[in-house]
Amino acid sequence: MASDTPWPLPLDAPAADDLSRCVHCGLCLNSCPTFSVTGLEAESPRGRIYLARAVDEGRLEMTPAVQAHWDLCLQCRACEAVCPSGVAYGRIMEHVRAQVAAAPKKDRLQRRLRSFALRNVVARPRVLAAMVAPARWYAGSPLRGLVRRTRLLRSFGRLAVMEAQLPRRPGKPVRPGDTLAAPLGAAARVTLFTGCVMSELFGGVHRATARVLARSHVAAVATPGQVCCGALHAHDGDLAFARDLARKNIDALEGGDIIVVNSAGCGAAMKEYGQLLAHDPDYAARAAAFAARVRDFSEYVVTLPGRPAGQLDARVAYQDACHLAHAQRIREQPRALLREVQGCTPVATAGADMCCGAAGIYSLVEPGMSAELRARKAAQFREHAPDVVVTANPGCQMQYEAAVREAGLDARVMHLAELLDEAQRNARRR
Amino acid sequence: MTTRRELLARLRAAVGDRNVAWRPEDLLLYEYDGTIEKKLPYAVAFPDGADETAAVVRACNELGVPVTPRGAGTGLSGGAVPARRGVVIATTRMRRILEIDPVNRLAVVEPGLPNIQLSEAAAVHGLFYAPDPSSQKACTIGGNVAENAGGPHCLSLGVTTNHVLGIEVVTAAGEITWLGGRVPDAHGYDLRGAFIGSEGTLGIVTKVVVRLVPVPASVVTLLAVFDTVEQASETVSAIISAGLIPAAMEMMDRTTLQAAEAGLQCGYPPDAGAVLLVELDGLAEMVDSQAASVRGECLERGATDVRTARDAAERELLWKGRKGAIGSLGRIAPNYYILDGVVPRSRLVDVMATVADVSARYDLPIANVFHAGDGNLHPCVMFDEREPGATERVLSAGAEIMRACVEAGGSLSGEHGIGFEKQKFMPWLYNEADLENMARLRPVFGNEGAFNPCKLLPGGTGCGEMAHQEAALRAAGPDAYV
Repeated sequence: MASDTPWPLPLDAPAADDLSRCVHCGLCLNSCPTFSVTGLEAESPRGRIYLARAVDEGRLEMTPAVQAHWDLCLQCRACEAVCPSGVAYGRIMEHVRAQVAAAPKKDRLQRRLRSFALRNVVARPRVLAAMVAPARWYAGSPLRGLVRRTRLLRSFGRLAVMEAQLPRRPGKPVRPGDTLAAPLGAAARVTLFTGCVMSELFGGVHRATARVLARSHVAAVATPGQVCCGALHAHDGDLAFARDLARKNIDALEGGDIIVVNSAGCGAAMKEYGQLLAHDPDYAARAAAFAARVRDFSEYVVTLPGRPAGQLDARVAYQDACHLAHAQRIREQPRALLREVQGCTPVATAGADMCCGAAGIYSLVEPGMSAELRARKAAQFREHAPDVVVTANPGCQMQYEAAVREAGLDARVMHLAELLDEAQRNARRR
Repeated sequence: MTTRRELLARLRAAVGDRNVAWRPEDLLLYEYDGTIEKKLPYAVAFPDGADETAAVVRACNELGVPVTPRGAGTGLSGGAVPARRGVVIATTRMRRILEIDPVNRLAVVEPGLPNIQLSEAAAVHGLFYAPDPSSQKACTIGGNVAENAGGPHCLSLGVTTNHVLGIEVVTAAGEITWLGGRVPDAHGYDLRGAFIGSEGTLGIVTKVVVRLVPVPASVVTLLAVFDTVEQASETVSAIISAGLIPAAMEMMDRTTLQAAEAGLQCGYPPDAGAVLLVELDGLAEMVDSQAASVRGECLERGATDVRTARDAAERELLWKGRKGAIGSLGRIAPNYYILDGVVPRSRLVDVMATVADVSARYDLPIANVFHAGDGNLHPCVMFDEREPGATERVLSAGAEIMRACVEAGGSLSGEHGIGFEKQKFMPWLYNEADLENMARLRPVFGNEGAFNPCKLLPGGTGCGEMAHQEAALRAAGPDAYV
């Protein structure tokens, strides 16, 4: 009976079967970034599931203090990848967040603002473009040097974080419908998923992706009509809005083409559209079929025959994007592609597969924990001094910009596609 | 009588405000460990170092409040569950490696350090810490000392007590003292030996000096596939009788294999009746000839296939399945009750038959995964605690299996400890005089009955059945008596 449920949003309540699958063996503990920082059971995957279970069973009320433990979760899903019982932690946490979003809260204004921004800025290409344009101008302008030298922003916590994370040279945007590099006589055609922030701040990554694919005779098309994937909304508990976005993408990208995604967070979310829309009679089957067509950039590229050679003399530290390594279980493919590049020396840093603290909008919502995790990465970079830090997700790329600066290094931060593109160009010149 | 308010004030004075947990939602997360036992503490203290730990212990003693030590809470005998409530002392703030001495092949570490992190840190010196419980990614060195933990590779190298040179402890009386030291041959009574495996009933470890051993030059890992558990069990005895001592020899039955394969994709044959995972290490020449002998023994006793891991990655994959096997049983049922009986290797086949019989009679699926070389069984009884009466049925099925182990000339526990769960079965193994003698050790360390009560030895006041599922979390006010 719906009235018996302790959850404010019964339709999206975490499933009792998901919760009871956790046998509290504890094997997840040290894979969890927040447990490894705090050592507290309440900030561990096992603890967070146990709290949800206690609420579900009516043993515990969903007080603000309980919600705070769930809020501190990065949703990096490292625990899910090591869980022998196959607990669907990511799914549990999205449903728990949906309850938190629906619960009456003290910081209602902040939450409303966040939800408003996610719905009306992030998911609206034109509004997002208008908001990002000044940042993109600023990123490459002399003003930036001045701001940094005078440390103008040091007392504006979150603004300073955003400033530090801004890429050094954001490329021109690539939006749905734009034309991308195409090979002569393409052997195959794929859809390039353009995304929200990727599209506005990382156009350079999209172009590099298209060029790398073109050199293997694959034409990438920024199919019109596609929208934001909805991952940020789902992680924030706005499952209804995430479902709307998913339906729009399914409508826009109908057909048989492979969908190549170069943002790990988007790719993970889109591979789970089937699950997200499982209870939508009109879309469930289409969503599952859509999900089966989604490929991460590295996952797709390693399957292409006759990849051109690459050449780049650099010490490269590859950092796993959580939603690539843990959610999509793609660890080996990016490393294999890097190994193929002549002159590229891999630098193994400790905790390469532990979350950097970017985690979508986490660095703005939980700046303290985010900074702690960024500092760990910075310490590793300082110790190993790589020339290039490579990852596969826009949020991570931004966090590494800040971490590299924190480490006092001049290392470049690149998406895997950018590195391969540059390496292939170098090899041609020889 | 002490109120909760007084207790919290004393704890805060000992470790600081931030290092005492008291909110209902925080306490709830210290009511469990890796077993099905549960009991809520009144407070959790997180001391840093021996002085703070001693201050907490003394405060609890003065107030007459029970104390229960806790590492990572991965234990499998209810050892870290606060059986009579009181205060849980968690070691999670003490997780540093204080020293690695490659010349003397030892390390000094704090008790909250996760087991695997020590081997990871020692790897640069070509050394590792041998005891490797299956939970080694999470479980702590301090917990390992308390339980005298074993692991697959303890077959040839020995268990925790063989690898700990000395410990700094806070006794149950709240005194700080060293037992043993940095050199192996300490004179006088071996109190170090008495303390290791005392399951946190004599005190809390605050520093550990451990022995590190060289990473073997060569390792061969074999996976032998059998149609039946009996064939695999006979092979174990045959390998040992042939004079071979593998580094590890593990068995998994069909249920376990299938769960592990589903959860971890480790390349196990899901149709097999049982597999043996055998690892040999040492000098390359020696290892190769031993591997050939093991292969021969397996084939002779009906193995349908014997695979050799081609490289480190494949070996790691085979072990990943074994180490995650128990957790992966969550795919089959939401709860499991894991047993830890030991039987003489010669009786493996009979006892396995009893296990199968118990499974059939109680209508409870039982998965078997065990350290076959040591005759250390881990039957896992699977159930759903939400089904009325299920837990009781499981416990009596477990008791029957333990009884069978003891009657076969074995014991109740190989490595998980007696804890809360098995203390009442101790009289099967020991007579009254034996038990009394052991109990006399407690007051020597200052334990008058409230230090990790209801563990290891039977009896004691207020040690009834633990509530497996407390009906509701009572929001006791600050002035309620503790």
